[in-house]
Amino acid sequence: MQNSNIWQAVLGEIELGVSRGSFVTWFKNTQLLRADSSLVIIGVPNIFIKQQLERKYADTIKEILAKNGVTATRIEFKISSGPVANNTRIDDEPVSYQPAEKKAAGARQSGLTHAYRQGLNEKYTFDTFIVGSGNELAYAACQAIAQNPGTKYNPLFIYGGVGIGKTHLVQAVGNEIVKLNPSAHVVYVSSEQFVQEFLDAIRYKKNTDFAGYYRSADVLIVDDIQFIAGKEKTQEEFFHTFNALHQANKQIIISGDKPPSDIPTLEERLRSRFAWGMSIDMQIPDFETRCAIVQTKASQHNTELEQPVVEFLANYVTTNIRELEGVLNQLLAYCEMRNLLPDIAVTSTLFSNDKKRPKHLSARQVVDKTAKHFQILLEDLIGPKRDKDIVVPRQVAMYILRSELHLSFPKIAHELGRKDHTTAIHSVEKIEKEMNEDPRMRQHIIEIKEKLYA
Amino acid sequence: MKLQVTQENLSRALSAVGRIASGRNTLPILSNVLLSTIDNRLKIAATNLEVALTETIGAKVSAEGSVTVPARLLQELISAIPDGVITLELAESRLLVTSDGYESVINGTPADDFPVMPTIKEGVSITIEATTFKKGLQQVVGSASSDDARPVLTAVYLHTYNGSLYAVATDSYRLAEKALVACKDEVSLLIPASSLQDVLRIMQDDAKDITITYDELQARFAVGDVELITRLIDGAYPDYRKLIPEAFKTTAVIQKTDLTTITKVSSLFAREVAGSVTIKIDADSGDVSIRSVASQLGENTARAKAQITGSGDVTLNSRYLLDALSVISGGSVSVNINGKLDPVIIKDPAQADYVNVIMPVKS
Repeated sequence: MQNSNIWQAVLGEIELGVSRGSFVTWFKNTQLLRADSSLVIIGVPNIFIKQQLERKYADTIKEILAKNGVTATRIEFKISSGPVANNTRIDDEPVSYQPAEKKAAGARQSGLTHAYRQGLNEKYTFDTFIVGSGNELAYAACQAIAQNPGTKYNPLFIYGGVGIGKTHLVQAVGNEIVKLNPSAHVVYVSSEQFVQEFLDAIRYKKNTDFAGYYRSADVLIVDDIQFIAGKEKTQEEFFHTFNALHQANKQIIISGDKPPSDIPTLEERLRSRFAWGMSIDMQIPDFETRCAIVQTKASQHNTELEQPVVEFLANYVTTNIRELEGVLNQLLAYCEMRNLLPDIAVTSTLFSNDKKRPKHLSARQVVDKTAKHFQILLEDLIGPKRDKDIVVPRQVAMYILRSELHLSFPKIAHELGRKDHTTAIHSVEKIEKEMNEDPRMRQHIIEIKEKLYA
Repeated sequence: MKLQVTQENLSRALSAVGRIASGRNTLPILSNVLLSTIDNRLKIAATNLEVALTETIGAKVSAEGSVTVPARLLQELISAIPDGVITLELAESRLLVTSDGYESVINGTPADDFPVMPTIKEGVSITIEATTFKKGLQQVVGSASSDDARPVLTAVYLHTYNGSLYAVATDSYRLAEKALVACKDEVSLLIPASSLQDVLRIMQDDAKDITITYDELQARFAVGDVELITRLIDGAYPDYRKLIPEAFKTTAVIQKTDLTTITKVSSLFAREVAGSVTIKIDADSGDVSIRSVASQLGENTARAKAQITGSGDVTLNSRYLLDALSVISGGSVSVNINGKLDPVIIKDPAQADYVNVIMPVKS
């Protein structure tokens, strides 16, 4: 932050002395890369600007730097792809990415420099994936697969909520495999696209082409498999593709928003096949991971954020990384446009008057959503009944009240119509334990939380 | 500053340099040209901060000096004045332009305000015969990408490989590669394709040589009295060589005009499907046929005779095919295909130094 503060002050003064056009042309997108007593390095976007600044503005810059407490004996200009250089825009794309190559009549132009990486986006790599407790297992499995595709964990089924990095991870496997073996035929497809292509194939009577294409893959990655549910013919085709590839020891990676057993109208034979290899859930990243994500994303924009800002953002968006990135971009864009520093004051004013998000969930909302999730009546949940299918949701509600709202145990008991706070203590402990053992329980909790924060 | 030049020389220089001075810039002075005297000659320069172009013409200089004036006005004025000797004289920052019967005064801006023109202090240089360079680059430059998302692909990659200098461009859907000349030095330059278009424009037909001087940031192209300096693109060019197949299952050698005609006809029906047409090479009938289907309009098949080995078909974008045909110099071309998803190679069978690769459309 130090350097950018100084540079901002310098630019402010220069701006007063030169015309608007000159300032925009010569000084926009410059930055102070290094400032110590002997040497100052200024980053500029291209050679023309470098030479102009060297010859015409070096003295002015030196003078103004001195006023701001940097007495440099030497100034150097260096071409650097700074925060607003040519190609940073790619990083700003939202996490979800559908190859937009689709043209009329299902024809797609295949690429030359990435001939065998259809659908893969090169920016998704393992390097940029941030590992935390919620996704380390999935990450490790994917790494293992990238090293030896088709031998371990085949098929791999990754599931988890919206915007927690499934697409990033499965694409990273594809990219890594292509990197290690450029001739590998990696096919990445979303299940929606698979369905569409299948329909086109039927329409234009090209079934054999379609089947041949997918069956020739060395690695098949299918994203968001849940959209295949309910489409019987496509499921059958996918089933055959799956079998053909699995027989030939080709790697299959599938992602979905729920475990195979929970996707409604998924055919039994597919369901059992998906469960064949390894199913891993990815969970909402914990606070530390979110902080790490904010910092990494910020540094991709060449910005360092103060710790309080990072923590604020990590607390502000808790369930969805895509949203977290959106909030960060919003903050950076806001600050860039108004020439502000993204400090905690700006951040908290910018995001405090957001009406969409209830800052504090009420206990009532939690109880209500839990009842809805388990499809039982609210009266039953807080009533005296002790049937198993009511007791478990009640315990879940207690757990969420404790983990998300940090209510006291007596208060929790009261909210659910219990007299004794030890019931609440027991329930929370029980759910905590079950979450560690039963992925279905984890899934329930995740889904309820998603509904709460949606 | 006071000097005399011929209308012809000044007009020619201004039309070359003036193209670079554009009004579409935040800095108004970039739409000016810089006039300055140097060693009894007149130097005319302009820049758009991507490239800087300088042309030096002979002049009779009686007082040294420099000034900048609006490029468009000066260019239009000079080209409208009849042939003859023109006198340029600077009075403070006003440029007096006089010739037989015409007197004009153009309000200029001091030369000090003009951006510093880039220079290359020391660098490596290579010299290539002008026609070879121009013809070769014209066959390549159109294949570069115009999408800034991958800056590397907006460049033409000039490099040495196995003792030859190659120029390559690709937008990842098609690729053109030309071997220019034998070259001993190690060259690896990523030159923005748009800058190269400017270079090609300044190369008159009578030019003899072009000299390229470069350091790690910029390159200078000098042709006769004109020199253009461009920034270079930083990055690693994709390793494209392994993508060009060497053996083919199916090859057709066909008259270029025949193939161009049938492709053009077929492409009329391919508008609905983004230009994709299917080329079929049939060894039995000895025909190359191109077929396109527009479900709304109708369909078309056009065929022509060819020398054929093997049979096969492939679907590709007719625009890329026409682009390739328009830059191939010979009278006949060979079309080489492998599978439906494998790259297609178009080249002149008589010339081994040029290949055009087109990726098929997946249907």
